[in-house]
Amino acid sequence: MSAAAPALKTASVPATVHDTATGARLLVSSLERMGVEVVFGYPGGAIMPIYDALTGTGLKHILVRHEQGAAFAADAYARASGKVGVCMATSGPGATNLITGIANAMMDSVPMVCITGNVPQGVMGTDAFQEIDILGVTLPIVKHSILVRDASEIPAAVEQAFHIAASGRPGPVLVDLPKDVQFAETIAPFGFNIPNEIVEVDHDAITEAERFIRAAERPLIYIGGGVKIGRAVEAVRAFAEGTGIPTVSTLNALGTVPTDAPGYLGMLGMHGTRAANEAVQASDLLIVLGARFDDRATGKLAEFAPHARVVHFDIDASEIGKLRETHVAVAGELKPGVEALTARMAAAPLAIDPWVIRCASAAAHHAPRYDAPGEGVYAPALLKQLSEAAGDRFVAACDVGQHQMWAAQHCRFSKPEAHITSGGLGAMGFGLPAGLGAKLADPSATVVTIAGDGGFMMNIQELATLKRYGVALKIVLLDNSSLGLVRQWQELFFEENYSEVDLSDNPDFVKVAEAFGVEAFRIDQRDQVEAGIARLLAADGPCLAHVVINPKENVWPLVPPGKSNAEMMEGA
Amino acid sequence: MSMSDTIHIQIDRADGSLQRLIGLVERRGFHIDGMSMAPVSEEGGASRRIALTVRGRDAARSIDNLGCQIDRLFGVSRIAAPAFQSEAA
Repeated sequence: MSAAAPALKTASVPATVHDTATGARLLVSSLERMGVEVVFGYPGGAIMPIYDALTGTGLKHILVRHEQGAAFAADAYARASGKVGVCMATSGPGATNLITGIANAMMDSVPMVCITGNVPQGVMGTDAFQEIDILGVTLPIVKHSILVRDASEIPAAVEQAFHIAASGRPGPVLVDLPKDVQFAETIAPFGFNIPNEIVEVDHDAITEAERFIRAAERPLIYIGGGVKIGRAVEAVRAFAEGTGIPTVSTLNALGTVPTDAPGYLGMLGMHGTRAANEAVQASDLLIVLGARFDDRATGKLAEFAPHARVVHFDIDASEIGKLRETHVAVAGELKPGVEALTARMAAAPLAIDPWVIRCASAAAHHAPRYDAPGEGVYAPALLKQLSEAAGDRFVAACDVGQHQMWAAQHCRFSKPEAHITSGGLGAMGFGLPAGLGAKLADPSATVVTIAGDGGFMMNIQELATLKRYGVALKIVLLDNSSLGLVRQWQELFFEENYSEVDLSDNPDFVKVAEAFGVEAFRIDQRDQVEAGIARLLAADGPCLAHVVINPKENVWPLVPPGKSNAEMMEGA
Repeated sequence: MSMSDTIHIQIDRADGSLQRLIGLVERRGFHIDGMSMAPVSEEGGASRRIALTVRGRDAARSIDNLGCQIDRLFGVSRIAAPAFQSEAA
């Protein structure tokens, strides 16, 4: 494992102490030692000793209204803060309700520790009340998991869980605690100080990468979510600026290079920009930084970047060569690797002006237009205006669907933390709890949940959590009275057979929000957008803008599923 | 029919560890044609050695990548030594 682990705040606690306590108390003090400030959770029978031990401690527990909300909120808290997110739930249904959130963290490499209670060990394996083998159920979707069978092992298990969650390629770690372990009195040591494994930069590979870059006529930097995770944002910006090589970004990397940076061509892939996809298809060298050739980015893999050789930097060796042949593999931490490459490239400038000009003129030629006909609200324009009005404090917590793609295409992002989205899993229902988690992680940020009417209903109960804790999250609910992205595919690929996508009997979202005690208002005309954004951003507490949009609006451009990125469809 | 390979693994005795390994191999697109296991005792706890004979479901499945995936597991390590095979036979 690597040294990329976020610094854990343990300074206020002695390096080694011995404590006599119940397992539950040991769990809580172990979390405090790991620097945990906020825990998202929901109590129940098999985790009651831990909830008993929580009272009066320094941990701020956020009581969500569904365990899925806890897992999503912890995930977004981690993405926004760079710290490990923590959620907890009881056995059985509490634990199974976490699953979608755990999978979400796994797919997007988010550091998260999930604490579950379980039935006492004596009845484990007997189908006891609320007994589920949650360790077994979650094996494919965790980075690691630990069933703690002895209370004295709790501090070590927690420290190991945090270390594994945050180091190397991060991910979720489950810690399952049977109830008898929570009750048991024990003496346990603290302070294991698990060392980080330092992987030396492979200078031979860096030299080879430089040789490939200098030989290329049309090099392109393909930036993935691993750059932010590896704290290599400044290193990658310096590399791109220093070499002048154009950049494209995956969904999870948006903001790594600022939206308005020179040479930045936008997102690649299914809903990417024409400039980005054309550059990839024309490129003769892809410099892939912390990305994994996801199918939504590559389109038909066999026809992706057909002329390009590949230099691939990744901390996870299993990603290198997984889907695409790699010519130069640089396994290890991104930051020192990219810095070493930048230093070598500084020796002489690249002669790639024709390519840079070609990319820039394509970007200018295909720049999105915001003069859609009609008087109704045009969501892409609203999202662009919203992000510009919120400025550098803007953080978007997106749900999944058309609005998510419009946000990715049209919002201005100044840093990768500004864009929180369910990329790999594509989990509807993420947006509202994600906004909650992100706002608690960074209260000074202007956090805006961008949701559609389908996904918003999947975790709408978390409006109560916003109200309870006075979390000043702003919500833009883009309501097209349908499952828009599915409707769009039915229109384009299923002969307009609109099967089960109509949501025109949605509740009155303004009344619903107000019933939860959340300020809300509605806009449905273009000339109301500016004032609506101003009202939303000026609200002191949580506030929902219900934005009625045209159900027939589609996301463009679009690469049809299974097709090459060269086959982009444009709207009328 | 793709070729089969044998991977030798040392694995800690921890809750779920076997399921974790077997599940990974099958999930990543490999059939398990054969498996043998024997205990080894080492300092620091009980461990087992496993020989897994695997075959990719299609030609796109890479045994090298499967090895890298196994390397990501905790408490599991690939080992070169096939000596265990003769012990177990």
